[in-house]
Amino acid sequence: MKILHQIEYKPARVIGGYTDRILRVDLSKREITIQEPPADFKNKYVGGRGYALKIIWDGTTRDTRYDSPENILVMASGPLGNEPAFPGTGKFIVATISPLTDTFIDSNIGGHFGPILKRAGFDALAVSGVSREDIVILIDGDAQTISIAAAPAYDKETDDGSLSFGENLLRDVNGGECSAYLAAVTAGKGARNVRFGIVNSLFFDVRRKRLRSKQAGRGGTGTVMRYKGLRGVVVRSSLSVVNSNNAVNREAVRQAGSRLKAVLSKCDPQQLSMATWGTTSLSEYMDKFHIFPINNYQYGQSPDSPKLFAQVFLDKYFNKKIPDGCYYGCNLACAKGAENVELTRGPKAGKMVNIDGPEYETVGAVSCMGIFDPHFVMEYNWYCDEYGIDTISTGVTISFFMECFQRGFLTADDIGYELAFGNIQAVDRLLHEIADGQGFGRIVGQGVARGKEWVARKYASRNGTSEDAITAELNKFGMEVKGLEFSMYITKESLAQQGGYGLALKGPQHDEAWLIFIDQVHKELPTLEHKANALKWFPLIRTWFNATGLCKLPWIDVRNPEAASTAEPAKNLPTLNYYVAYLNATTGSNKNLEDILDDSERLYILQKLINLRHGKGTRASDQIPWRAMGPVYFNEYEARAEYYDEWLRQQLGDDKIPASSEQRHKLLMEKRAETYQHLCDIVYQKKGFTPEGIPKRETVERFGLMDEQARQLLSELGV
Amino acid sequence: MAVSIKFPGMQRIVTNTDSIDMPITENTRVSDALQYVRQQHPSLPLEEGLVLVTVNLEAAPLDRTLRDNDTISFLPLIAGG
Repeated sequence: MKILHQIEYKPARVIGGYTDRILRVDLSKREITIQEPPADFKNKYVGGRGYALKIIWDGTTRDTRYDSPENILVMASGPLGNEPAFPGTGKFIVATISPLTDTFIDSNIGGHFGPILKRAGFDALAVSGVSREDIVILIDGDAQTISIAAAPAYDKETDDGSLSFGENLLRDVNGGECSAYLAAVTAGKGARNVRFGIVNSLFFDVRRKRLRSKQAGRGGTGTVMRYKGLRGVVVRSSLSVVNSNNAVNREAVRQAGSRLKAVLSKCDPQQLSMATWGTTSLSEYMDKFHIFPINNYQYGQSPDSPKLFAQVFLDKYFNKKIPDGCYYGCNLACAKGAENVELTRGPKAGKMVNIDGPEYETVGAVSCMGIFDPHFVMEYNWYCDEYGIDTISTGVTISFFMECFQRGFLTADDIGYELAFGNIQAVDRLLHEIADGQGFGRIVGQGVARGKEWVARKYASRNGTSEDAITAELNKFGMEVKGLEFSMYITKESLAQQGGYGLALKGPQHDEAWLIFIDQVHKELPTLEHKANALKWFPLIRTWFNATGLCKLPWIDVRNPEAASTAEPAKNLPTLNYYVAYLNATTGSNKNLEDILDDSERLYILQKLINLRHGKGTRASDQIPWRAMGPVYFNEYEARAEYYDEWLRQQLGDDKIPASSEQRHKLLMEKRAETYQHLCDIVYQKKGFTPEGIPKRETVERFGLMDEQARQLLSELGV
Repeated sequence: MAVSIKFPGMQRIVTNTDSIDMPITENTRVSDALQYVRQQHPSLPLEEGLVLVTVNLEAAPLDRTLRDNDTISFLPLIAGG
């Protein structure tokens, strides 16, 4: 491998979860520097998303776009990542200015990269600049060197693939062998051609004896990585994983971890059984309650859905005997995978591959295209990972164009073929066109927001109608907010989750608030006040998980039996107490849950400021498509007319229900839209924002964020 | 009179069936259905506080009285992703 620039360094020791070092790499200048943040930096910004927010707030401007040289790609774990005694500590954050949303995006990702980066001496890696040639970064804590090297060339097939290239790269730097001491992140050829490219996290699984992969899927972080000319980053450290955070109170860490592990062992088999089925277990429950996003979120349920239920994947694909944690010590072990699956479609037909997944989101994305073939799910999963594109955004964008075709906004001539819901052959063709940036795939690779503009132009010029009128119609079912495609849940019957998506700072990704079941099914959020409180509390606690290097699933997806006797069982506070104990035992702090929420709120407000700076922070950016609020078209209404009529009766009383079903449908949608605005009003108030969704000065000051940039921004916004 | 008790997800594998029917009287409650399932399928772990009881897909308390043709499920407490 041709080394272009190299420095020697002495890896900082991890103490209390931190190394207090940030590695900065400028690819334009080929500079490598090690930054020691100020003493209060970690107290204020915590780690993970918090570090990324501060680095990007300070290092970019309102004019920075995804392809600006000054854009920064940050990868950071957090103080609680890297601890096998506690479940779910392999997470790290990949963050940048997004090609989809033009503002801050972060995506959390599992595997060993974040923990090994920390053991190699760094709390975060921040990459700026653009390299003129494809390069890789090698961070070798054992050799005590950091290098920028020319990206090795293998063969075209390998070089195009994110997984294939990553495996070759890892073997290349380790004498041909994979090792648990190394991990890598990579981006594939698809990431070069779409706005929703992903970052793959590759690590060696000693149980399956093969490389596994997890994905930072949302918002185009891989697109930025690839644009910078960065094909991969390899980290190496052979330091022991045991107590490698050098916790202040190791015994208390062990106790907190043991308590959580006991809850997971006892309760997961009685609940979602994620250790056996992974997140695919959700499909059945989503379908049962009309939440499965079939045909671009038109219908929540289908007689064909059982073909995509968890048992199908377990019987046909998953190895049943191997615990599948994406990091050491996690007994939730939900990272399922399959070996030796034959590809039957696409350019690699006939090849036997190992597949990591599918996750529920990928299953949902395939149902979104009206496809119910489990083998296609597996192939779609593998191709998207190998190409380096997001299964969610790919599926939702294809589904949007399918609905445009269904409703006559596009013709087969526009696309090149019949892109109907359920047409596997068409999707198979389009998937590879997207990755190659060819044909209609070039349009789809831009995502739903830009897709709407393209369709409106095309349709308006053909029919002599106004682009604005067409855009208004497309906005009803184009499933994006702030430029990011929705994840895979229908929100029509959950006002709280409508807010969970619409008010999410990064766009409609559920990692900020997933309230759909506790609202729609559990009925634990009966009033607007309850929903608004949840829309403040859950994003804050979830932000904390993304700042500390932790997976949320052991907390939120396995209910602690003790939660039943608490006032708000959905918060699962008895389990959260284990996390607070773990934090204090690791870092030596003496925080309670309120302190943690305050820490998170600072990060939340900072992210809001970045959104405002980039024009995505006001009420206008929190508006959701009509499809997210209810049955946009009459066919959707008719599919559940009895249910919707009963909903109207409960809201308005029998005497105000119109006689005709068309009028009832119209009234229903008006009522839903009005209620969403009321929800926004209350949530903004609770968050300390103006009615326009802008943080008040006192809110910004309260968290010590009123620097010159913030002051000027708020002045410009009239606050 | 009878009700149907559905077994979703892993419950279906443990019980080896999609559902069972349970005869009811006018005073049969959800808690009786829970007890019935425990007797019919002792290997199925169903702990109060760890499951969401639904009757006809609506959340229901254990003391709710059952009616003819009701459909009961004991679902996981899904709260996140």
